[in-house]
Amino acid sequence: MREILKVDWLRTPEGDSRGYIESTELTEVWFHTGTNCNLSCPFCLEGSKPGDDRLNFLTLDDVVPFLDEAVAMGCQKFSFTGGEPFVNPHFVDILGAALDRLPCLVLTNGTEPLCNRFAEIVDLQAKAHDVSFRVSLDHPDPSEHDASRGKGNFKMALRTLGQLHDAGFHVSIARLMLEGEDSPERDAGYAPYFQEAGLPDDMTIIKFPDFMTPGSMASVPHITEGCMTQYTDEAQRAAYMCSFSRMVVKTGGRLGVYACTLVDDDGDYDLAPTLRESMQVRIRLKHHRCYSCFAFGSSCSEGH
Amino acid sequence: MHHQRVFQVKSPAPGLIELLIERGDVVFTPGDCVALFNPAGVSRPYSISSGQDEPYLRFLIRDMQGEVTEWIANLSEGDIVKFSRPFGWFRPGLNGDAQVRSVFVATGTGISPFISYLRTQPEARPEMCLYGVRTAADAVDVAFLESRCPTTLCVTRESVNGYVRGRVTDRLDRLPIADDVHYYLCGLDAMIDDVSTWLESKGVHFSRIHREVFFNA
Repeated sequence: MREILKVDWLRTPEGDSRGYIESTELTEVWFHTGTNCNLSCPFCLEGSKPGDDRLNFLTLDDVVPFLDEAVAMGCQKFSFTGGEPFVNPHFVDILGAALDRLPCLVLTNGTEPLCNRFAEIVDLQAKAHDVSFRVSLDHPDPSEHDASRGKGNFKMALRTLGQLHDAGFHVSIARLMLEGEDSPERDAGYAPYFQEAGLPDDMTIIKFPDFMTPGSMASVPHITEGCMTQYTDEAQRAAYMCSFSRMVVKTGGRLGVYACTLVDDDGDYDLAPTLRESMQVRIRLKHHRCYSCFAFGSSCSEGH
Repeated sequence: MHHQRVFQVKSPAPGLIELLIERGDVVFTPGDCVALFNPAGVSRPYSISSGQDEPYLRFLIRDMQGEVTEWIANLSEGDIVKFSRPFGWFRPGLNGDAQVRSVFVATGTGISPFISYLRTQPEARPEMCLYGVRTAADAVDVAFLESRCPTTLCVTRESVNGYVRGRVTDRLDRLPIADDVHYYLCGLDAMIDDVSTWLESKGVHFSRIHREVFFNA
């Protein structure tokens, strides 16, 4: 296992050794399709917005070597996030190539960029593997959702969910987790909307806390080695995304493998140019978003 | 990112800015936007309203007195502007197929992608263009639109001979409804929401309703 030799990577400001994860086997690879998005939600953890290029569009040529490397390493799934993946003009081709190899998950806002390519998406059902879609529905109240995303957005995203479901795709939703919320009650608030859209009652709902915008310095407790041994067991540590997954990102025209989906605003987590090399790096839980995994068990993965 | 020189900045009507930037080697598809960045790095997306092979990129911009539009309004010929690579998913005429039967509905500067498409595809003849503006002076390229398709101009804040007084949503009954027509909507989110709902109530399948709106809270 390789260690990154930087003081603030290894130690907390108090001088304690930071908690870490040693990755085991690679079972999921994420691809960040780029921070260009049709929406400009004020809370976006990626800071995505129209025309944004902090993380560049991936192309099919960029992705294929990682797809092949991942398959050779025993990976079981590919997942895609943005930005809005369908804003990337190469995305349907990328998704098609991924589906030739493994099942896939796509995170989307379920609006125009997806809807305008719906016919191409339906054609992907002829591929060797299945694709699932996770659509953002931030709140079970349309007006709260639309306050950040625009009038009619909730209705449109809900309708897209229904259409994807009708077309035979597996769908789930992602929502915001509020501080002190009654989670079962909040989840139940979606039931009438699911019914209206012809969606199953038992839809998977993935909850995320406020991850803050890129570059934010949240004031959260530092995770030490002691925290990881005292408060987590082996099974919990294995559930950290950096234990079993990686994310491929393109910045400044250069491809890199990051430790997880939440740390692409910190170059320290740009671990290696290949998946195999990235699995040899011990992941220190330095980023403020690591605390979300520690405290809430947050995970972008589904069914892991 | 691109950096190109401003060729011209005009104000054809109060609150409306027409910006021409040298195209250079910029390649785009009708319906694309670019994000223009002010010197502070704040960006806003704007649809291109020029044809693919024209020497300039043309933008029609509603002056919202925001930090980006204020900067654009004060640009001068020769200034260098920074903007993103063109991007987009809204494709009037189904990716440039001039034979597809199309209906365009636009409000304000939402007419831009349609003008870009028509300038790029000289043989395209949409079934209809329903175009809403606040005052007649806000309407751009009306003669050009009329030369290419039946155009209904709806004006909300004044009565003008030859134009309809009211919103585009008051004139939806003029739209041809047929199974092979694609409907392209561009403008404010409320208009797009209303027109989509109306079209669906008339049996238009969602896959033939194409929408372009940036949701900005």
